[in-house]
Amino acid sequence: MKCIITIELGTNGIRVFAYDLSGRIIGSMKGHYPTFHTEPDHSEQDPEQIFITTLYVLKNILNEYIHPKKYEVASICFSASMHSVLAVDKNGNPLGYAITWADNRAKKEAQELRNSPLGKKLYEATGTPIHPMSPLVKIAWIRNNNKERFRLTSKFLSIKTYIIHQLTGEYIIDYSIASATGLMNIHTVNWEEDALQYAGITANQLAVPTPVFTAAGKLKKAYQQSLRLPAETKILIGSSDGCLATLGDGIIKGAGKASITIEDSGAVRVMGSTVLKDEQMRFFNYLLTDNCYVSGGPTNNGGNIFEWFTRQFGEFTNPFDMENSMQQLMEEVDNVPAGSDGLLFLPYLLGERAPIWNANARGAYFGLNIKHERRHFIRATIEGILYEIYSIGKTLGEQRSINSLSVNGSFGTIPFCSQLIADIFNKPVQVRQQFHSVSFGAWLLSVTEMGIYKSLDDAAQPVELPNVFKPNKQHHAVYADYFGIFEKLSTKLFDEFEAIGNLQKKYAHSNKIPIYDNP
Amino acid sequence: MKKNGSIQPNTFPTTVTDGLRIYYITEGRFEWCINYQPHVFYPGDVALIMPGITFGCDNDVLKIGSFTWIQLAVQKQDNGHIQPGKWSGLSDMEATAIGKILLLNNLPALSRFNEVGKIIKCIHTELFGMEVAYQARVNHQIDELLIQITRKMTQQTHSIRDFPKTFTQLEVVLRQDLAHQWTVEEMAGLVGMGTTLFTEKVKSYSGFSPINYLINIRISEAIKLLKRADIKLTDIALDTGFYSSQHFSTTFKKLTGYRPSEFRKNHLRNI
Repeated sequence: MKCIITIELGTNGIRVFAYDLSGRIIGSMKGHYPTFHTEPDHSEQDPEQIFITTLYVLKNILNEYIHPKKYEVASICFSASMHSVLAVDKNGNPLGYAITWADNRAKKEAQELRNSPLGKKLYEATGTPIHPMSPLVKIAWIRNNNKERFRLTSKFLSIKTYIIHQLTGEYIIDYSIASATGLMNIHTVNWEEDALQYAGITANQLAVPTPVFTAAGKLKKAYQQSLRLPAETKILIGSSDGCLATLGDGIIKGAGKASITIEDSGAVRVMGSTVLKDEQMRFFNYLLTDNCYVSGGPTNNGGNIFEWFTRQFGEFTNPFDMENSMQQLMEEVDNVPAGSDGLLFLPYLLGERAPIWNANARGAYFGLNIKHERRHFIRATIEGILYEIYSIGKTLGEQRSINSLSVNGSFGTIPFCSQLIADIFNKPVQVRQQFHSVSFGAWLLSVTEMGIYKSLDDAAQPVELPNVFKPNKQHHAVYADYFGIFEKLSTKLFDEFEAIGNLQKKYAHSNKIPIYDNP
Repeated sequence: MKKNGSIQPNTFPTTVTDGLRIYYITEGRFEWCINYQPHVFYPGDVALIMPGITFGCDNDVLKIGSFTWIQLAVQKQDNGHIQPGKWSGLSDMEATAIGKILLLNNLPALSRFNEVGKIIKCIHTELFGMEVAYQARVNHQIDELLIQITRKMTQQTHSIRDFPKTFTQLEVVLRQDLAHQWTVEEMAGLVGMGTTLFTEKVKSYSGFSPINYLINIRISEAIKLLKRADIKLTDIALDTGFYSSQHFSTTFKKLTGYRPSEFRKNHLRNI
């Protein structure tokens, strides 16, 4: 019997799934690796620890679920977070840690570039918003601030490229991850000359971009032995977490569907055969396959904001029991009417990316009156997080018609949140269980590669998601009224956001606390 | 026990001692500097001054109020760790863990901690009463004092609301002393948890048991060192916390498929 293994190199750790060819999950395991914040704006991970964790978890899942049942591993397919940068020397050995998407050190470079004509040109060519997250400006930062490291760097890799190089010896990068570097032209599918020049590097300092179906050479002998896998086991390069979550949700071109992910952070995405153009440079356009673009907007403030709220106001009857404490809070809000009796919450505790792209934005409760109670704060907090998701969806809706939604991610799939999303958007919502969409997208990619489906569209078509949440019209009318004020507040406070952000920096007691900061 | 009824100059000079000093406030309000950091103490609070740490107040004047204190002679080991003296009934492992936790958490002010007052009072009564077996009784009480303080300290440094943060803090401490043979009890103690809860939380958060997670870190660090030609394999093994180069080699090969020497050869081929 054949099986497929998917490996997701995520922000907090690795997640490995084993599927059979019908898409049934045989088993899954995870492994955490840490993020280091040695400076306020820095966010780094140890590539060796990611690699060891990958090997360890892969080995465990093989030994527990695959080898005892004599499954044959048809392919191992990778997905990964976008925007990571790892400098390696001429031997392929890391020069320091990998810089993750959440790293903000290049904010000055990003701000200058975003406000220049070149920035606009690069955004249109590469599809990646000009932001500190982008490898383009991160490499420029290393060149400007870390000259010795820049000089010694033979290649700038993504974390996935490094892991695959360890396993097989190949330096390749898939189109999806490459299109999120800010360095690849998504129209010609080549490294963009102007971007290379801006970063101060040449194309041979980057890995070779390849389609997401590419098999990345043979597993090295030592790993064949330690993992007990045959030499012909296919290592599929796969795609990015964002693109695969969209695919895994059954979103295909031109079907009027959008995918909403809400984990710690969140995103709203659509798929199409053309890119979204935007004068204000608010959307990303990433490449899944030829003429297939995943477009949308990311938010910094998702489930992590409700976790923050729970840490402050939750019961924690059992130590460290975040899950139960969150659930207890949610149970309190059933008696609060939709719209929280006029209490609004701006969730910008970590600044914001789409759609306002304002690093200085901060959180606020608005409309507080003497009748509001603790339970109103709970509901307003959840509503505020989801209004923000809606504000991304609304701007996307100006360019693409969206008839239905699918939701994934640990926060979005909480039934209370899924229902709220249906009500706020006034559209039916389908739900994919948490942590699953990215891996399932990788499975779809693998079986398509095997020829079981003709194309990714064919593969994604039968994806039927359970649990349809239907919009409640009365609630929608209430949310629509309040959203008008929410939307105005999100831009109206621009000057005050900047002023308070500056004061917070000025009077910061400890500069060890990173405050999210995008241009 | 000291009751200070009047303010007089130079009655409370800044001092450093080799002992572990524990102050329990019963009346008044004191502003003391411990390790050059100001702290304010109210009745029920405890000040803990580790060996070699400066202790005093701004102008060497003691404010009005009263407190009790005790100074314990502790052994300082070569590696900087402290350990209770021979009087202690703690096992070696538990004593090491307590010494390490006190040193690493480094929290000199413990608030609302009446238990300490009771124990010091009991020690005082025993010492003055000298009833039969009072020495054993005092030794027991001192152990109890150390245990209480250690537990309180870890509970005060770690919120029970944020496991990811606690885990990150622990990870930093482990990496700073990877050569140490960490036990699960020590790791759990450091973050103020019992080993049962700790093991369960680490497993559900990280996917690994605490010891296997630690092996991850050890191997990752070893890989970094193997990629540098200037460090001997035996040194790498010991620096990253393996018992021997044999133990290192077996664990490394099991996980990566390579012996450390092979791995090194592959990665240094171009130099």
